Amino acid sequence: MTGSTDRRPLDGVRVFEISIAVAAPCCGKILAHHGAEVFKVEARSYPDVARAFGSAWARDPELADVFCDTSPYVPEMSCGKRSVGFELKQPGGLEAAKRLLATCDVFLTNFAAPGIAELGLDYASVSELRPDIIYAGMTGFGVDPDKPYYPFRAFGPNQAPLVGWDALTGFPHEEPAGIPSIAPPDYMGGLHATLAILSALHERDQTGEGRFIDISQLETTVSFLGPYLVGQDLGVPEPFRNGNRVPWSAPAGIYPCAGGDVWVAVEVQSDEAWRALTGLAEWSEIDAHDDSGQPALSTYPHASLAERLANHDAIDVELSAWTARRSPQQAAAELQALGVAAYEVLDHRGVLVDPQVHDRRPYSIVPCPRLGRDLFVRDPLQMSATPPFVTRAGPNMGGDTTDVMAELGYADDEVTQMIESGDVFTDSRPELVLERPFDRWYESVGIAEFYDAEGNITGGGQ
Amino acid sequence: MSAEQAAPQRRGPWTGTRVLDLTGLSGAYGTRVWAALGADVICVEPPQGNPVRTMPPLAPGHSGPEASLWWAYYAASKRSVVLDLTDAEDVSALVRLIGTADVVLDDAPPATQETYRWLADSGEGGLGVAGIVERFPHVTWVSITPFGMTGPRRAWRSSNLIGWASCGLASTVGFPHGPPLAPGGEIGVLMHGASLYGVIGSMLALRSRDQAAANGGAAVGQTVDLSLQDFGIWLSPETGVPLYLDDQVPRPRAGNRRPITSPMGMYPASDGYVAMIAIQPAHWNAVAQWVHELTGNEGILDEIFVDIVVRREALEAVDAWVEELTTQFTKQELFVEGQRRRIPITPVNTVGDLRTDPHLEAVGWWRSEEHPVLGSYTVPGSPFNTDGDWWAWDRAPMLGEHTEEVLGELS
Repeated sequence: MTGSTDRRPLDGVRVFEISIAVAAPCCGKILAHHGAEVFKVEARSYPDVARAFGSAWARDPELADVFCDTSPYVPEMSCGKRSVGFELKQPGGLEAAKRLLATCDVFLTNFAAPGIAELGLDYASVSELRPDIIYAGMTGFGVDPDKPYYPFRAFGPNQAPLVGWDALTGFPHEEPAGIPSIAPPDYMGGLHATLAILSALHERDQTGEGRFIDISQLETTVSFLGPYLVGQDLGVPEPFRNGNRVPWSAPAGIYPCAGGDVWVAVEVQSDEAWRALTGLAEWSEIDAHDDSGQPALSTYPHASLAERLANHDAIDVELSAWTARRSPQQAAAELQALGVAAYEVLDHRGVLVDPQVHDRRPYSIVPCPRLGRDLFVRDPLQMSATPPFVTRAGPNMGGDTTDVMAELGYADDEVTQMIESGDVFTDSRPELVLERPFDRWYESVGIAEFYDAEGNITGGGQ
Repeated sequence: MSAEQAAPQRRGPWTGTRVLDLTGLSGAYGTRVWAALGADVICVEPPQGNPVRTMPPLAPGHSGPEASLWWAYYAASKRSVVLDLTDAEDVSALVRLIGTADVVLDDAPPATQETYRWLADSGEGGLGVAGIVERFPHVTWVSITPFGMTGPRRAWRSSNLIGWASCGLASTVGFPHGPPLAPGGEIGVLMHGASLYGVIGSMLALRSRDQAAANGGAAVGQTVDLSLQDFGIWLSPETGVPLYLDDQVPRPRAGNRRPITSPMGMYPASDGYVAMIAIQPAHWNAVAQWVHELTGNEGILDEIFVDIVVRREALEAVDAWVEELTTQFTKQELFVEGQRRRIPITPVNTVGDLRTDPHLEAVGWWRSEEHPVLGSYTVPGSPFNTDGDWWAWDRAPMLGEHTEEVLGELS
């Protein structure tokens, strides 16, 4: 199940994570999958929004105290981590956090720089506790108070507009569509943080020295615009949103299929693929039915990329007529058989029943203290000698406080006293185990094929 | 040329690590960062060059293998070796080169990777990646492919656009009346993210190898299989199976505003758009106060509007009030003044806006680069900073610029 051995590259690495939402948590999730012991330090006085979302089915006054454990974003972002409830604005909570920090190799945060400094957890303070700490601070706009945007607030959904991605998402004749419902910039920040931490660990193995890493999301995500930014000095026109078209392939786009709001993505990446596409027998029939006045695609088997780009609109009319007669699955399969890159545009349910997803198993389902078991996306690296895995979902908010404090040398009565004083906290009603709706709803939504005979999620597994 | 030009002075945490980059776009960004952190990243190119060398935009007035700004940017700090794999001598050179590497990144189709004949033709071993890692056990081989090395659709072709479609994310991007869209359009966000993950996998495998060796074990690499589709699923919980199974709520395309409350999404400025989100009462109060100050609107200060549900029910009216404010200023003015008022607001920046952004200017982000063919130009600085001397940026290599130098090191 986990390969020939459970040995993993980050065994023995301890990570102190104080984080919110996605950017730092997804980095901690990667580290946990590869063997690090990640402590997510949480506070009831400023809970992570990933917890605050909760779940619609858990909006019951009876469950108010455990609502924070029910959001599907909790396992998505924090599976495999230990949750420690330390109120850092209380002296005892901060003291406990510092004791934990002194045992850790990595400090990971995406709290705003002014806030983290207020807590006394800036690099200067943390490196006094642990001189060889690798300190990864993810900020919106860096750590220099003298720079223009330093006090500004970075906010997940506002990042893509800021860094130029939103303006490039959409059709040229419309307002930018942007990507307000999703957060790729946060994940890209988390990947840069992971790469930086692994580099610092590599360096520390040789030098024994720690490192301060300043990951300002603005620079990190603007970096993906590189070729176009370089072009600005060389007189290249600014790029403008152009739907799904690209200058190096044509046709490229998302085309309507039979059966309502369903689509197939198509990209013809070579002259060879274009010739194969134009060879289809159906074009003459489509041409007889369309009123575009344009000859059929099949008339132009030798059209160059430049010619295809110049005639993209006309090609799209015919290609749409062809895709509209097929389901997305059918269209994608027929096009791939011709050597044309294509895939159905999957939505949630499409991902659930996708044959490649079933085979690759990007989901894990493992025990969870609050939910019995829980489901999340596992690490996407399939490594032959050190496969990534985690053995626990959740965690419950504060569920590991007492264990971790015992490991740090706190006596039982000290812990009890600190819980009473509100310096630290543990999870509410640890014995209460709830059930996610998918455990009883899956049949009603027609996804039984996702499960094997025992009811295990067959698209999951470690 | 290459004989006279010394190898770039390497520094940074990865000095001493050698990486062969056989990828096109799906490895380019991650290996760019790795090269600037000191790794010796060698692009092995066919005589006609890496396909990235043909990607527009091209430098105006230029054609040929150095003209692509994609290459100029994404190949920075790497070395270029041209090998013609129809030539027995070059195949033998490639095999020896692999033997000197710590990591190889490859994006060839799975069946191709499984049947490489290089070792067999050199009389050194078996077929494909399996043969290579058997012959050179210290090497880690990272495959970045559209759908992975396994599964019924592993031979299917893909691209940035197809990848977004296959992971679920494109289905939520766009307007309700139009088709789904690739987030970020042609800039290739999915490819660049996957390339970072490929490098993360490489670094993890190296750590595993080096730790084992330090503990007296064998220094062995491994194979790493990364699929664009799996990576897309990893970064799309919003469209993923766990959320769907939990709440059964479809997440259709909703354009550039979220009908959850107002203001939430894009609003017109005098010179473009801004993005604004006011969910928390403090944020709404700041917006309402600003609108009131500017337009004299008294109604917007009514306490009932502090409730996000009331604002959702009066969405069109509230949006119109907010637009009376936003259309009077430029997006940068709205950004600076809005942030001063503690409102989560940002400009919808274009590439040109970012090139002249005052913060990027103030932090000294931009670097200038000198290229023997393209001349001098300004490039983005490092994607993150440290208190160490980590970054060693250099221009992209010309086609085959280091062939002689690298092959010379082999003999």
